[in-house]
Amino acid sequence: MRHTLTLYRRLLGVQIRSQLQYRVAFFMDLLATGLTVCLEFASLALVLQRFQHIRGWTMGEVAFLYGMVEIAFGIMDLVFSGFDPGRFGQEVRRGTFDQILLRPVNITVQVLTLDFALRRLAKITVGIGIFIVGLQGTMITWTPAKLLYLPFVLGSMVCFFGGLFVVGATITFWTVESIEVMNILTYGGSFTISYPMSIYPDWLRRFFTYIVPAIFLNYYPALYILDKPDPFNFPPIAPFLAPLVGLITLALSLAFWRFGITHYQSTGT
Amino acid sequence: MIQVHNLHKHFKVTRHHQGRLAGVRNLLTREYRLVKAVDNVSFTIQTGELVGYLGPNGAGKSTTIKMLTGLLVPTGGDLVVNGRIPHQSRQQYVANIGVVFGQRTTLWWDLPVIESLELLQHVYRVPADRFRQNLSEFTDLLDLKPFLHTPVRSLSLGQRMRADLCAALLHDPALLFLDEPTIGLDVVAKERIRQFIQHVNRERGTTIILTTHDLQDVEKLCERVMIIDHGRLLFDGQLNDLRERFDGRRELLVDMAEAYEDVSVEGAQVVARDGWQVTYQFSRSSVTASELISRISQRYRIRDLAVREPDIEATIRRIYEERLLET
Amino acid sequence: MRLFWEITRRSFRRFMTYRAAALAGLVTNVFFGLLRVSVLLALYDGRPEVAGYTVPGIITYTALTQAVIAYLSLFGWFDLMQSVYTGEIAADLLKPMRLFTFWLAQDTGRAAVNILLRGVTIMIIYGLLFDLTYPQTAVQTLAVILTIILSWLLSFTWRFLINLPAFWTPNARGIVRLGYVLAWFFSGFLMPLRFLPDWVQRVAYLTPFPHMLNSVVDVYVGVLSGTELLRVLLIQAAWVLALALMGQLVLKTAVRRLVILGG
Repeated sequence: MRHTLTLYRRLLGVQIRSQLQYRVAFFMDLLATGLTVCLEFASLALVLQRFQHIRGWTMGEVAFLYGMVEIAFGIMDLVFSGFDPGRFGQEVRRGTFDQILLRPVNITVQVLTLDFALRRLAKITVGIGIFIVGLQGTMITWTPAKLLYLPFVLGSMVCFFGGLFVVGATITFWTVESIEVMNILTYGGSFTISYPMSIYPDWLRRFFTYIVPAIFLNYYPALYILDKPDPFNFPPIAPFLAPLVGLITLALSLAFWRFGITHYQSTGT
Repeated sequence: MIQVHNLHKHFKVTRHHQGRLAGVRNLLTREYRLVKAVDNVSFTIQTGELVGYLGPNGAGKSTTIKMLTGLLVPTGGDLVVNGRIPHQSRQQYVANIGVVFGQRTTLWWDLPVIESLELLQHVYRVPADRFRQNLSEFTDLLDLKPFLHTPVRSLSLGQRMRADLCAALLHDPALLFLDEPTIGLDVVAKERIRQFIQHVNRERGTTIILTTHDLQDVEKLCERVMIIDHGRLLFDGQLNDLRERFDGRRELLVDMAEAYEDVSVEGAQVVARDGWQVTYQFSRSSVTASELISRISQRYRIRDLAVREPDIEATIRRIYEERLLET
Repeated sequence: MRLFWEITRRSFRRFMTYRAAALAGLVTNVFFGLLRVSVLLALYDGRPEVAGYTVPGIITYTALTQAVIAYLSLFGWFDLMQSVYTGEIAADLLKPMRLFTFWLAQDTGRAAVNILLRGVTIMIIYGLLFDLTYPQTAVQTLAVILTIILSWLLSFTWRFLINLPAFWTPNARGIVRLGYVLAWFFSGFLMPLRFLPDWVQRVAYLTPFPHMLNSVVDVYVGVLSGTELLRVLLIQAAWVLALALMGQLVLKTAVRRLVILGG
């Protein structure tokens, strides 16, 4: 176990050093990524100036929701970049996944360190900026419990979206190409929960409640922290389901991942 | 070292519908075709052997190697390597083997060679002094020094191959798989790599399985060869045996002294005619060279002649083409 | 001209073979459009009209933006940059055709496939799901067709221009990406420009970007009419010419550099 952790660190170090070799390219990428996140939020913020609120959520409250997702998705994208389905599909296609099986190191650790997209740091940074805008625009009555719960909410989203990446990557054992439906769940899912869930039509909200329970990841914790009433009358435990959703998603996806590897070893794609 | 008994690997291949609405029909019904990539293969390899594993593309060569390295799980049969079943206990098994793919590198693309090697030291948990010892030995033998601090992406193919060989041997594997290690290299680079392979096998006692399309590799390195085609093991034995059994077809080149309409002779076939030069083919078992020469000279006036021995390449090509070994 | 047509046809056929991927991408476009519609409708909150866009108008805006993503290739097109890096550009420079024209011909095929497979399909799907607005008069219909073609030409000249730094630096990807981010924001892809504060709109209209998308929407939804319509089309055309000329100039310097330095 300790050996695995040290190796994880070393393999990550290799990734980081490789990327920093292309310094100019790296900073340009950082800039482009940061500006993308920035302008996307700016367009929403500017429009909210005209409309004042969206379904009763003020600019600050939306920034809180939005910033949380940007931070969590950025961290996930950084940590799980090796599992990015599009990227991992290439790995399977080129047969470089075989190299991973030939090294006496845990497979998951090796895939995690296939890539470490440092440019996501820009997404995380801008996300933190948006989050701070949110804090300033809202009057949150902080309690120790809320403060303590916040990192768990972020962690749950990291686990949840990381799990989706793992599922998407595993599917490429069968399909080779990453499949578009997974993009809807990952990128579509993160877009969806960046806004108050009350703005969506019922069918969409139910989908993200009962089939893919993303509503509990960000929206309900935000209702709790911002002391907003629940328009859907869920039991009072709803805001605290996030860690459960995150962990179960990740656990199931890792089980599927292991099954995928077994399948790969019996068919060899 | 390696015991393989009745090894099978079957793949189900989807047969796609053709023609109209093919896409829809593919979704609704699937037809499978069973491909026997490896079909009832058995062999044993002793510690310290250097075995050439040959076969045309798609013959089942790489499927066998994938099973031996634990990448693929066999459909049937027994497979014990180094006392372990490769696809079980993967981590422990691969810690004791080395694999080199000529077509792709195991090294980190953007890092200097030395950093990749140092990383592999930790991946394989090689003790520091052992690592230093091996590194200095391989650096000398493979002449790695000039490019040890160059990123892998800037290496020539030959340099990369040498670095990859070093990388595969740092942890003193008992068994080494080499897949096309000389592919795409020039003559000098090939020779250097062959010498190194021979050294590793002789001095370190490493068991080596070599797949290649370059039969010079085989001629220079291997005493024993295995030939696979259509998933079946066609030949397993000494290279000399292979020669003797199949080098029947020798060629006799004759320059006639005058033009003949009919140049046929008993016991040999005319395979080419170019002006007054005639090429005969004959097999060792039916007629000796001197016998044939005397028969020809009795009938025709000869100016010059030469006997051409078949090379291993022609032999093996003939084996593939004519399925000589099929029973 | 004949050569142009041949290249276009080949490119069309090549992109047609990726139709499975195009259709899969369509699903994502439709889905994201639904999310955007939800956001905009929640913002409207019962208002019948904001800044000239009625409720059907704003849904039409969303449908249109999603429909032309692939057609305009707004999410990134790095082909020219890549051909410089792989060295394929050398072979292209030997062709008896201007590099700009050669790539334009290829892009014509690409754009045609995408407007047919994705653009039209997405508009039909949204037409079935929602109440949309449609061009009312023959003049407006003609203007819509013209503006859609011009917007593609404008996107192409922009894409061509920002790919050119590849001739100077091996790190052009970041520059190209920045070029797309700017286009994204100022074209009104994220939000209709009319919803943004005046100063942002003024800045936007100093650039060619609004004419890649926002103008198309304005013409289609019918916010513009009469002389305004004509004016927008002329400005669009002027930007196309300006960017094309700029691309030619930069390309000339780039090629001279390439020839002198030998790549």
